[in-house]
Amino acid sequence: MRILGSHQRSLAFYLIAFFLLAACGASRSPRSKMQGTAALAFGPEIYLGTLQANPSTPFLRYSPDGRLFAVWTEDHDKLWPTGKPHPDQGAKGGDRMISPMRNALIASSSDGGKTWTAAKRVNSGVEAVQGEENGPKLAFDRSGRIFAVWSIPGVKGDKTRANIRFAMTDGKGGFTAARTLNEVKDAGRFPIIETMPDGNLLVAWIDRRIDNPKPRQLHLMKMDFRGQALTKNYQVGDGLCECCKLGIVFADGGKTVYMVDREVDANKIRNHVLRKSTDSGATFGVPTEISNDGWQVPSCPHSGPSIGRDSRGQLHVSWFTQGRSEAEAGIYYSASKDGGKTFAPRTMIHANTAPETLYNNLIVGDDDKVYFAWSNLDAGNRAQIYMRTLAADGRSWSPIQQISNAKGNASRAALALKQNLLHVAWTETDGEDSRVVLRSAEVAR
Amino acid sequence: MIIAARKNETFKRRFFSSVRLAASYVIAIALMAHSSWAQHMHPPPQSAGPVIGAAAIPFELKTLEGKSAGLETFRGKPLVINFFASWCDPCREEMPLINELSAKAGGRYQVLGIAVEDTRAAVIEYAKEARLVFPIALDLNSTVKRAYRIFGPPATFFIDGQGIIRDVVLGPITSTRVKEAIQKVGIQR
Repeated sequence: MRILGSHQRSLAFYLIAFFLLAACGASRSPRSKMQGTAALAFGPEIYLGTLQANPSTPFLRYSPDGRLFAVWTEDHDKLWPTGKPHPDQGAKGGDRMISPMRNALIASSSDGGKTWTAAKRVNSGVEAVQGEENGPKLAFDRSGRIFAVWSIPGVKGDKTRANIRFAMTDGKGGFTAARTLNEVKDAGRFPIIETMPDGNLLVAWIDRRIDNPKPRQLHLMKMDFRGQALTKNYQVGDGLCECCKLGIVFADGGKTVYMVDREVDANKIRNHVLRKSTDSGATFGVPTEISNDGWQVPSCPHSGPSIGRDSRGQLHVSWFTQGRSEAEAGIYYSASKDGGKTFAPRTMIHANTAPETLYNNLIVGDDDKVYFAWSNLDAGNRAQIYMRTLAADGRSWSPIQQISNAKGNASRAALALKQNLLHVAWTETDGEDSRVVLRSAEVAR
Repeated sequence: MIIAARKNETFKRRFFSSVRLAASYVIAIALMAHSSWAQHMHPPPQSAGPVIGAAAIPFELKTLEGKSAGLETFRGKPLVINFFASWCDPCREEMPLINELSAKAGGRYQVLGIAVEDTRAAVIEYAKEARLVFPIALDLNSTVKRAYRIFGPPATFFIDGQGIIRDVVLGPITSTRVKEAIQKVGIQR
């Protein structure tokens, strides 16, 4: 190749620069809006709970006094008595017994998740507290009372015919004895609890007391700050997918209640819907389909949607769907600017790498940014936690960033946010072991 | 005049050569950037999953009792693999059929349960509660579930004695489908 003259070299340089800039502009035209937010700088991993007890299924929430709380589940540690023959080969007295019993543990942090108080047990009795999509949840009232709900298997040990348990702080540093909220026994799963703007509590769960026709119903009940029932259990919807989490947000001082869930029709098509109440959750209107994904699946996908509401009243929803083909499978997002009457066409946040159910959550900041966390498979075929941020303009997305490095699998990320501090906690499993990992990041405001 | 024209010709040739070079770089860079972005948004699909008529994908797991439960362990007789979880509604609905299928095997075929997204304690409890009579392997890291491209349990694979997949039922199985599927692996009831 001939050596170019200085004049031509300059010309070539400017041409390259021009074309590079033009190409960047062209290739970014669909994505320029997706890169407007920077990736987050997360701090080190912190582990919650007792590692030997296999911590799992964290849920995070800030209390009104600014403390970050976490609740998770752990093995109920029971040792086989010394001197008694152990049923497991090679095991001996003093070894831990394999037991389905799990406890709900709670701890708090006053320094933004860096250090944590000693964990306390929430369930007074020994119970098989359920985890994963069905794990314990927390709510607070303004005076700092803590309310917890979780699910335990039914009397025959059936997790699909389970019971909703409730306990609250007893004012003496512990929790009250748990009680069952579902009036028809062995019927409830996937509970969530939220403090309403009036200070009362709203509990929702998926119920199967009417076992035919299938599928499941949506039941609610209200309680006051003392944990006393203000209503009986009442049904506000049916046709719910049998196995995934619910979401609730409030508006208009609690007069408006929005709920998200996954519906399933007679052809086993599972789309996500928004339910809206304008009478503080007493009744709900006809559900609005968030997206017609056409996901037809006869099996148990076990991954529910997530909802948040920003200061402008916009609703933000994320969910997982396989859509009408594997090529469509992934985590999606949509927003409603008209109080849930309509939703924008879905936007894919991250595509599936394999036919794997992905678990997702979102949280909305007081600056209207939306933070998403979900699981997906990495190049080594292990599930990891990924994150993305959507700026308040509703168009500018941060790049996808992986925030876990699990040896086995990481899943079910929980989120909490206080001003400029974001926390993500998740479960990592490797063979028979599990642990709860927490990472925090400062977010720009 | 001629010299000037030649100079002009040389300049033009060099100019267009530079442009072509620059354009090539730009296109290559743009393609690489797009490919990297596309891979992140739409990661490449994993290897193909199981196919009816093709050999079952080998795996190596342990049963609840700690015995080997690899695909090779079962070679020689038809094998029914049922992927399930203790928390899964449709799995519980179909489980009496799978249990019955195993109870009636009489040495002609084998049934293997593979528990996915579950824990040992929960599976032991479920096996007791549902009185399961077939061996259960734990796929604790979801490696077999992913290799078999199981989206969510239940899923049942019918494999003949030579290790060839003859039928697959995704979702809960019915008695009619059980009859059809076991005939395909050469079992007469």
